[in-house]
Formats: sequence, C-alpha cells, structure tokens
Amino acid sequence: MEQAINEFYNQVKRTCGDEVAEHVQIEIDKRNVVKLTGEVHTWQDVVDIGHIAGRLSGTKGVVNSIKTPEFQKMPNDYPAAEKTGREKGIIGKYDIVIIGGGITGASIARTLSKYNKSIVVLEKKNDVCEGASKANNGMIHSGYDSKTGSLKQRMCVKGNAMYTQWSKELDFKFNRCGSFVVAFDEEDEEYLNQFYERGKANGVPGIEILDGDEARKIEPLISPEVTKALWTPSAGYIETYEVVLALMENAIDNGVKLMTETEVAAIDTESQKATQVITNKGVIQAGCVINAAGIYADDIAEMVDDRFYTLHNRRGTLVLMDRKKRSFSPKCFVGTAPKNFTKGGGPMTTPDGNPFWGPSAIEVANKEDVGVSPQDIQFVMEKGKHLSPGINEKDIIRFFSGARPANYIEDFIIEPSEKIDNFIHVAGIQSPGVASAPAVGEYTEQIYLNLFPNTKRKENWNPIRKKQKPFRECTQEERDQLIKEDPKYGHIICRCETVTEAEIIRAIHGKVPATTVDAVKRRTRAGMGRCQAGFCGPRVVEILARELGVDSLEITKNGGDSRILVSKSRKEPEK
Amino acid sequence: MKEEEYTCIVCPRSCLGKLIIEDDGTMKTEGFSCKNGERYAIDEHTDPKRVLTTTVKIEGALFPLLPVVSSEAISFSKLKDCLKYLYQIKVKTPVREGDVLVDDILDTGVSILAARTML
Amino acid sequence: MIEKKVDCVVIGGGPAGLAAAIEADKQGLDTLIIERDVTLGGILQQCIHDGFGLDRFKKRMTGGQYAQRFIDVIKERKINVLLNTMVLDITPSKEIYASSPDEGMLHINAKSIILAMGCRERTRSQVLIYGDRPAGVLTAGAVQRYINMEGYLPGKKAVILGSGDIGLIMARRMTLEGIKVEGVYEIMHRQNGLTRNVVQCLKDYNIPLHLGTTVKSIHDKKRIHSVTVVEVDKNLKEIPGTERDIDCDLLVLSVGLIPENELSEKAQIEIDPVTKGPIVDSDMMTSIPGIFAAGNVATVFDLVDYVSQSGEIAARGAAKYVKHPKEENIETIDVHPGNNVAFVFPQKIRKKMESETFPIFMRVKNEACNVATYLEQGGNKIKIKKHLIVKPPEMIREILKTNQLDLSSDLTIHAGE
Repeated sequence: MEQAINEFYNQVKRTCGDEVAEHVQIEIDKRNVVKLTGEVHTWQDVVDIGHIAGRLSGTKGVVNSIKTPEFQKMPNDYPAAEKTGREKGIIGKYDIVIIGGGITGASIARTLSKYNKSIVVLEKKNDVCEGASKANNGMIHSGYDSKTGSLKQRMCVKGNAMYTQWSKELDFKFNRCGSFVVAFDEEDEEYLNQFYERGKANGVPGIEILDGDEARKIEPLISPEVTKALWTPSAGYIETYEVVLALMENAIDNGVKLMTETEVAAIDTESQKATQVITNKGVIQAGCVINAAGIYADDIAEMVDDRFYTLHNRRGTLVLMDRKKRSFSPKCFVGTAPKNFTKGGGPMTTPDGNPFWGPSAIEVANKEDVGVSPQDIQFVMEKGKHLSPGINEKDIIRFFSGARPANYIEDFIIEPSEKIDNFIHVAGIQSPGVASAPAVGEYTEQIYLNLFPNTKRKENWNPIRKKQKPFRECTQEERDQLIKEDPKYGHIICRCETVTEAEIIRAIHGKVPATTVDAVKRRTRAGMGRCQAGFCGPRVVEILARELGVDSLEITKNGGDSRILVSKSRKEPEK
Repeated sequence: MKEEEYTCIVCPRSCLGKLIIEDDGTMKTEGFSCKNGERYAIDEHTDPKRVLTTTVKIEGALFPLLPVVSSEAISFSKLKDCLKYLYQIKVKTPVREGDVLVDDILDTGVSILAARTML
Repeated sequence: MIEKKVDCVVIGGGPAGLAAAIEADKQGLDTLIIERDVTLGGILQQCIHDGFGLDRFKKRMTGGQYAQRFIDVIKERKINVLLNTMVLDITPSKEIYASSPDEGMLHINAKSIILAMGCRERTRSQVLIYGDRPAGVLTAGAVQRYINMEGYLPGKKAVILGSGDIGLIMARRMTLEGIKVEGVYEIMHRQNGLTRNVVQCLKDYNIPLHLGTTVKSIHDKKRIHSVTVVEVDKNLKEIPGTERDIDCDLLVLSVGLIPENELSEKAQIEIDPVTKGPIVDSDMMTSIPGIFAAGNVATVFDLVDYVSQSGEIAARGAAKYVKHPKEENIETIDVHPGNNVAFVFPQKIRKKMESETFPIFMRVKNEACNVATYLEQGGNKIKIKKHLIVKPPEMIREILKTNQLDLSSDLTIHAGE
C-alpha cells in the first residue's frame, strides 16, 4: 500500500505540480477503496487526480471528495425530501425496487419482469430517459474500444449482438450499418493496428483493417485521403429514447410499475439488509434494491453506507443537422483515431436521416450542468467538417448536451453490495452503456437470481411490444384509413415532421404518459423539425392542457419549474 | 428659438425632419417631403397622438380575444387609461369588422371598432 | 380517398393566397383554397397592429381588417375553401395529397397550383446561442400568437433579440400587456426594421435599442432566469470583456424569416439560394410549369400590399396557363442584381409580355441617399426612379414599362451608379 501511495503522489506531482500534491490526502482501506480529500485550484485537477488514483493497480474504486474553491459539494435536497417522505408513510411494497429510469434501469426492469416478482422503477425526473440516456448519440458500439477483460468490453460485445433480437421484439429501428475508424497517415495507422488487436481480443465479430479503396467501396463518402480504415460491421444506431420507451412499455405490460417525479432520499437498513426506500412521495418497502441511478448512483450507494466510487460529469455535446444534408452524411459511422484520452466521436446519420455530430467531452464539476459552450460546438464542428465536408454551421437545427456518469476506474460497476445483502450496484454506466444495455440487464438478472435463488418465472411473460406505425410513414391509403377511423389523424399539428393530433393524444395517455412538451416531442417528433416547434408549440401546449384537464398555464417544457406560460393576459372582467 | 427633430411615421419613407419653434410661438418645418410629415411634426410637438390597437375579451368565438382598433389616433397621454378601460370589457359574438364597440372612449371623441369579424 | 380535379389550387389562405384565389376566380378558374388553420387570414390573424393596406386601399388598417376585406369577397363569390386541411405532398405532375379531419385524405389533380404558404421564423440553434435550453425562449411569432389570440403571457420581463419589425412590434405589444421589455438587441450595427416602428414601438415606450450587441448565452436549466449579452465588432466577432448579464424570464427571438419551403422542395422546384424561395418568372411561375409561387413563400416581403399583388399576378399567370397548358419552353430573360442590389424578384421576365406594366421587387445591400434605380441592357442604362433614401429592410417596388424593355436579352437592375 505504501508503494501505491508513493506512486500516487509521484504521478500527481508530475501531472499537476508539487503544490497541488501537497494539498491532497489519500487513504486506502482494506477493500482497496481509495479515498481522496483535500482542496486544489481547478476541477480539471480534481478529475486528473481521481484518474491517477483509479489507475493504481488493484484499486476497487475511488471516492473523490477533493474540493475546489468554486466547487465544494453538489447541493441536494435529500433531508427535506426524506422528511416529507417519512411523514407520508408507507405507499407501497415491492420485491424489487429499481432506482433510475434510464436505459439501464429500463433494461433491468424488462429483463426481471419475466419473474413472479413485483417490481417498481423510481425515476426522479418527470419522464424516463432524462439523464445520460437522453443526450447520447445512440451508437451501438462494436466493442473494440473497451479495455480487454473489462466489464465494459464483455457487456458491450454481448449487448451489441443482442440488439437484433431486441429490435424485433420491441419494435424499434436499429440500423446495423457498421463503423469505420479512418487513418490519414502512418501514425493513425498505428492506432488502427492497436484497435484491431484489441478488437480481436475482445471478440468483436467481423473486425478487419481495409485499405482506403476497399473502405470507400462500402462507404463512398470516406475522404480520398484516407489510407486505411478499421471496419467493424457489427456497429449500428438506435434512437435511445425510443428504446427506453419500448423497454418501459414492455415492462409495464408485464406488470412493472413506473413512478416518475419520485426521488430517493434515504434507504433504511437493518441487519445488513435494505428494508425500505424513502422517497419524496412516501416510503416504499423493498425486497431488493437495484441502484441504476446514473450520475447519482454514488449518492444512492452512500445511503446504504456502501459508497466506493464517485461519479463525475463528463459533459458531451451533440449537434443535429437539417435532414436535407443527408446525402453528405455517411451512412456508417466514421471516426478518427482518438489521439487523446477523450472518446472519438464523429459524424453519423440518425435512423431518421439527420446528420448528427459529436459528442465532445468536457469535465464539469456540477452534475446538473448540461449547458452548451462555444468550445463544445467548435470541437464538434471541426471534427465533423474534417470528415464530412459539405455540411456546416448553417445546417445546424439543434444542439444539446448530456452528463456522462464517468467514474475513476473507467469501468462499469455491476455487482452485489459487499455490505448489504439485497443491494445491487449498477453504476458508472457511461459509454458504451447504450450498446451494453441488453447484456447489463441479463448480467444484473444473474446477480439477482444468485441472491434470490427461489425466484420463479411468470407463465405469461410477453416479450413482444408493438409500436403503431407513425402517420408520416404511412402510405396515402393507410393515412386515409386512419383518418376515417379517427378524424384526429386528419389534423396535422406538426408540419415539419407530419405529426397528427391523434398521435399526440395517444402519447399523452400512453403507458408511459407524456405530460410535458418535451415528452410529447420525444414520443411523436412534434417540434423536432426545421422550425423547432415555432408552429406547433402553442398547439401542443393547448392539446396537453385539454387532455390533462388543466389550464395551459400548468403545462411545462420538461417538468419542475419549466412552465411555458406565466400568466393569463387579462383578469376576469367585473360583472 | 427651439429646434426639435422628428421622424415622420405616416408612411414607410420615414422622413427625418426638423420642427423650428420661434420665440413668438410660430412653427415651421424643414426636411419633410410632404404635408403629412409637416402636420405630423406639429402634432407630435403639441399633442402626440397614436392609433390604438389591442384586443378585448370575447365570448362565444373560436378564440378568446377580439382585435380592436381606434377610429382615429388618440392623444398619447390618454392611451394608458383607454387600455385599462378596454381590458375590463367583454363582448359577445356575433361581431362584424367595423362594429362600434365603444363610442367616444373616455371623452376623446374617438370610437373603438372591431378589427375582425368573429361569429 | 377523396378524388378531386380542380383548375387552380391555392395552398395557403393568407394575404397572398386570398388575393390569388379571388383573382383566379375572376379569371374564370374553378378555384380551391387549402388552409391548415381553423380560419382564413394566415399570419394576419395575429397581426393586430395597424400599418397595413396604405398602398392598396389608401387606408391604414390592422392586419385583421386587411384580411377581412378579402375574406368577405371569398364568401360573396362563394369560392371553395378547405379549412383545417394540411397539404402533405405535391408531385411535379401537380398532384396534391392533403389531410383533413372531416374528409380524410384528399387526392387532388390540379391543373395549376399557387404556392402561398408564407414563411417561418428562424430559431435559436440556427442562431447559435449557447448555454442551457430552458423554457421561456420563444420566437416573436409564437409570443404574438399567445398574447394576441390565446390570451396568455409567456413572461413578465423580456429581452428581445433582433430588431426586425416583428421584434419591434412585439416590444410595444408586450409593454401594453404589462410585460417589462428590458431592451431590444441587434447584432448588426444598423436597425433591421422600418424606422417608423422604431419610433412607435421603442421610443414611445423608452425601450432601448442596442445595436452591435447579441445574446451570447442563456441561463438556467428549467426556466430562463437571465441571458448574457455581448457586443460585437463590425465583423460580428465578439468583443471580449463586454459581456453583461440581464435578468429576464422571457427571451424573444426575432432573428429572421425564411420562406416555408418543404412543399416546394417536395415538388422539386428550383430554389433561389439568395431569396430562399422558388425562382419565378414575371407570371410568378416556378421551374415547374403550372406551379406558381406568391407572397412570402417566394421571398420575404415587407408590405402585405405587395404580397397580395404577387398573388394576383400568379393567379393571372395560372389562368393563362390553364388555357394554354401545352405551351412549351416559355422563353424568359434573366434579371440580374447589379450595383448595391441584393436580389431582384421575379428573377426572370417572359419574352412575351401581355401587360403594359409589371412590378419588379428588390432590396438594396447598403443604405444610400439620393439614388436612382436603373435598368441596364446590352450597355444601355435607363433610369427607373429616383429615391431620397434606400435601405435594406425596406423592399423597393418599381413599375417597369414593357415597351421600355428589350425582351431579347438579359437585364440588370442597379441601385445607384
């Protein structure tokens, strides 16, 4: 251990300087969990030091509590929510409580729904897929990029293969178009060789190195200056919120309950077992707690006194372009050799045909910070224009950011708690989290079954979930038929994406109800087009108000404080 | 002698002209390309007037508001009070464009008319 | 599916479409207006301010009053109108697919089509504003609809980005409804809207206009709390150190209009990259014979009177076409923008002109005083009209005499020497 500590300080001095090293304290416990405390100048130092600790051999996890003058601690309202929850008392009892409604939580819920167990998913925001799952580019990685032997690698390669069946069972678009990493010179080609070797060791199917011309046969838009390219045919794309919705709807069909706007504030334990989960809505008794809480998974782990990791926000920005530039956008993902620590990223095309660039990667202290900075856009545009000339800033229709839950050992943490018998950690699920989701679901299932060996299957589990064909994809005759059955199909609300009133109403009253403008947007695409809700915005607000039986003043963009309208313009006249 | 600059707003030409007020109170203008501008500058100095456009509440129509317009320009100093008055009233369908909703609002001699047909 | 055959389908029931439909009807065409909203009038429904109709009716009217004139004639003449109906597709062979809650899908074979769908507003991303993406950021048109038609206020303290006419009009409108407008910010170093709007909407209410300043970023996550503005130099690059935070709960974007091109592109009509609308000839006919474009869908106008005029020209063009559809290769000469001219509309003139006069619309690149417009053909320059002042935000309409033109060669329009 002393050797490890010396090694740590040497590296910190080298990377951040002697002065910084003096203000940092390290402690390693008997589980090899590294605890860091102290104060340094910049957030980048905090992150760099965390990574140094994470790379020490044998580290199980890093709990990084180093502060900076600007950033002391993430504010939270857990005590207030806990008080409210306890006052409200017991509101439910479930065999399995899953904390987190992102792709991980949804995958686990759907996978476990095949058993005769009562399950609830607790999501603190007002819709599913609001965390890292919301703002990623939906790439289903092949797995060459993950460290060999890591959990990420095993989950990614396995999950990638499972997407074909998932897309059939759950009825979502999955485009297995393959992915390239291109080289422009010998230095790049060296990277390709490394990736190839790693890919082979990781078990990535069909991986090979092609020369430039062979690559251009598959993807004609690859630059003529590319000399060689790494080709992984197993990579593909999905639209992440579509998958999360599909998983949740199927889980709900099979008996799972979803509670949104439900934040976990505390977890009671007794004799090494979690007994109940205290939320802002009340107390929920639990047979087993599964922590899939995204960037807040470390807070949840803390609640059972088993925190051995810290998650920090590695923010990534994505930029969406106008669909009319589709022909300039490669149908396969094209990336360059990531010459530094951050993940590649590059141009791709969404299943709906929009060029989609990014992500960038910037370390930010605040977990809630998902703003977009000029540096983010610059990074994404430079990289994209290099690989996809013909598209530029004028084609941007939208950009947004997401917070990756990065941890310091840079691997998934999926394991039963060593302290609490009925608590499972599923944390640090950043890239390739989406690709890994099917495998993570099954891996967690195995952990659960090991903890609860007498679990029995349901007789009537139905893995099939069907989605109604959107109006915009129907033929003119099909459209005619739909309108005759329900005239509200004839009322087009979103002109840019051809979304009908009937579809918006269906989304509002769906299995995972859409109660905000953004939720309607995600399910129907209303507001995603060229005019970005300029035309349909007021109409969607009106429909939401009518269907939910409230005044338009109550309608929000995405829950909480985000009301669209502030007041009525006239008081009621005197009688 | 005082000089004031005014940009005429009667038509899109937006002539920028001067109003010269002599010590004995007589006024003359410079720089306007038509009589409208000359009159405008004098009016703006003595008693600026504006056409009032706003909405009033309406019952029984597809939308809850009816656009209205004043029959002539109203003294700017009385605009706020006229608006306050109009925000209190409510009309019922059917209303035809041009209908007089308020005759001689607040003793200005100006009427408020419906600016749209709402049945 | 309902099948229809119509002589002239007008897509859009705003000032262009209404004028076009009435003229088409007068020309003896069996006409149908397809309008996606619940009433006719288009954007004029939410334009409750005055200033419309000075040119056409010699009267100062509100947007609604102007529209009502046409709507009354549509009723009198019993012209067919389909409300609540959205055109989804147009083919180059002039087949239209539209959806209506009452009728189902409609398949219409039109002998001629007049596109009059108007324009849409540019949005935030197209204008690269950084920061969070909270509620409380709306385009001026959306704010106008909420306040003027639905009776809701989207905020209590507003910042307006863009000094175009819509932004200026909304500055006044919001003030009269009790919303505090902190200021209007314009990235260019000159104002974008009509001067009379700056006077009537900003000066009257002491709302400051900050030129050469733009909104750099927006804060906070859920609902907007403030924006950061920054000054820019003459190359529109940010001047570091000039950032300023402003508290507000509403950011109104009035950053430009673009012709509504979805259907034009579906029909594979050739689009002018400068006007962003279809390239048309002096009959307002596009690159597809029998399809015409009028109003803001062709190029963004300033005066609604000109919009209606373009609608009438398109209708007369459609009537001519319906009578002689087989006339191939209608020859045209090109009209080029010359000195200080950003663009000219229409972009082509037919070699065989029937009317004695016809209008040509244009915008200048830079403001200038005491200039004359000229037309130049084969080295010859003919003066068109003298102007005391010309400005980019104020579109110019010149009436050209057909007998003055040599219709065998291209012509160039200049503003100034």
